[in-house]
Amino acid sequence: MDSVVFLDKVRGYQRDGWRLALVNATSVLPSPEMPDGAVDVSWSFEKGGQLEHLRERVTSEDEVPSVSDVFGSAFLYENELRELFGVRVTGLNVDFKGALYRAQERVPFSPRAIRARLDAKGKKS
Amino acid sequence: MKRTIVLMGPQHPALPEPLVLDLVLEDERVVDAIPTIGYVHRGLEAMVEKVEFTEFGMVAERICGICSFMHGMGYAMAVEDLMKVEIPERARGLRLVWAELSRIHSHLLWLGLAADAFGFENLFMHCWRIREQILDIFERTTGGRIIFSVNRIGGVKRDIDDNTLAGIVAKLGEVEESFVGAARVFTEDPSIRHRLRGLGVLTREDAIAADAVGPMARASGLPIDVRASGPLYQGLEVEPVVEVEGDCLARCLVRVREIPRSIGLIRQLVARMPRGSHPVDVPVKGLPKGETFIRLEQPRGEVVYYLKANGTRLLERFRARTPTFANIPAMIKLVKGCELADVPNIILTIDPCISCTER
Repeated sequence: MDSVVFLDKVRGYQRDGWRLALVNATSVLPSPEMPDGAVDVSWSFEKGGQLEHLRERVTSEDEVPSVSDVFGSAFLYENELRELFGVRVTGLNVDFKGALYRAQERVPFSPRAIRARLDAKGKKS
Repeated sequence: MKRTIVLMGPQHPALPEPLVLDLVLEDERVVDAIPTIGYVHRGLEAMVEKVEFTEFGMVAERICGICSFMHGMGYAMAVEDLMKVEIPERARGLRLVWAELSRIHSHLLWLGLAADAFGFENLFMHCWRIREQILDIFERTTGGRIIFSVNRIGGVKRDIDDNTLAGIVAKLGEVEESFVGAARVFTEDPSIRHRLRGLGVLTREDAIAADAVGPMARASGLPIDVRASGPLYQGLEVEPVVEVEGDCLARCLVRVREIPRSIGLIRQLVARMPRGSHPVDVPVKGLPKGETFIRLEQPRGEVVYYLKANGTRLLERFRARTPTFANIPAMIKLVKGCELADVPNIILTIDPCISCTER
């Protein structure tokens, strides 16, 4: 992802009076084309009852710039992205360094972790 | 100045649920607060991997014991949106009646806890005695007092007959009357005003910067209420309750004033409900596919549900961004600069729900 373009868009939302309503992640399971899978990250902004979204598909190699300098409330979502999905978010204004949640399993919602659980249960996703 | 770190939680008399705040102090003044959650993280969202979408509403309801109905309703609405299901008008009305009853019971629960925290034990018991009448209505109409399991994809599982609806409206008249005395104490009592006024002030600008939601935002002058801006309450008179002081008292007063407003909404809903015997659900066939976002106004503020389905019986993703999650940055802002002794009251006034936050 192009960090500069992305952060410009985020600043645009902030300038226009939108608020950050949600940062969400959905794991894309590993496939022959994407052996490590990926994570679809979306940033949702609300204004006057309307929602708009920015979306990026990121792999374990990609870095995602924190938007916490623009929307101060983003730090919780971003720490969650890191801890539960293994997304490499950089430049957080509050960094829990993996200690926000006390999950027993490391990055429990990462594509590989979900794949492993599904395989273990013999289910097809 | 030498700094001290005081750990507050995970168990604390003012916290009904586990939360840790590392409070960094200079003398008795808090200069920083670092929250740690994760003590009740149950991985409920991950259960979409093994619970079929027709059953997952049961899981969504168990995110939280106070907003249980609304979580079930939000989940059902999200699936209905994906499957293009139009639910009957009566089912929509019944859902909103139960939703507003949930708001009343949640606010009464919180007001009781708040009263107990600042030393008004009789007021605590009075609020909970009133709340009991709401729980009785739930029991009578759904069979449950906390978890109702009354939502289904396509409508609701139970109807409420017209006589019972009229009885609920009459009972709410009694609730409103008995709440007047309690409301007067919260609004006028000099000790409560002294304890809460000017404490934990979140300015309008701070509320915007922290993306605060619900009573937290409305107490700081922001008229944010999904009921007023979304389509769900269309045709009903919904006006957000707003206070401007942004302090603990304002947050308390917003909830006090929202109780009669919710009673008024239930009266409107019952008056507009189609009379007689009408279907309360529609048959739903097929499998959900696609993604959707649904927003609701829970007692604690805006909740956002995200659902992604791939045309199988197992969903790909369910996400609930709950109001407490959204209000944690504002809570941290409030705590900074206050006295250590005021921290429990300030935290309490955001009405934190850690089970909702962690899921």
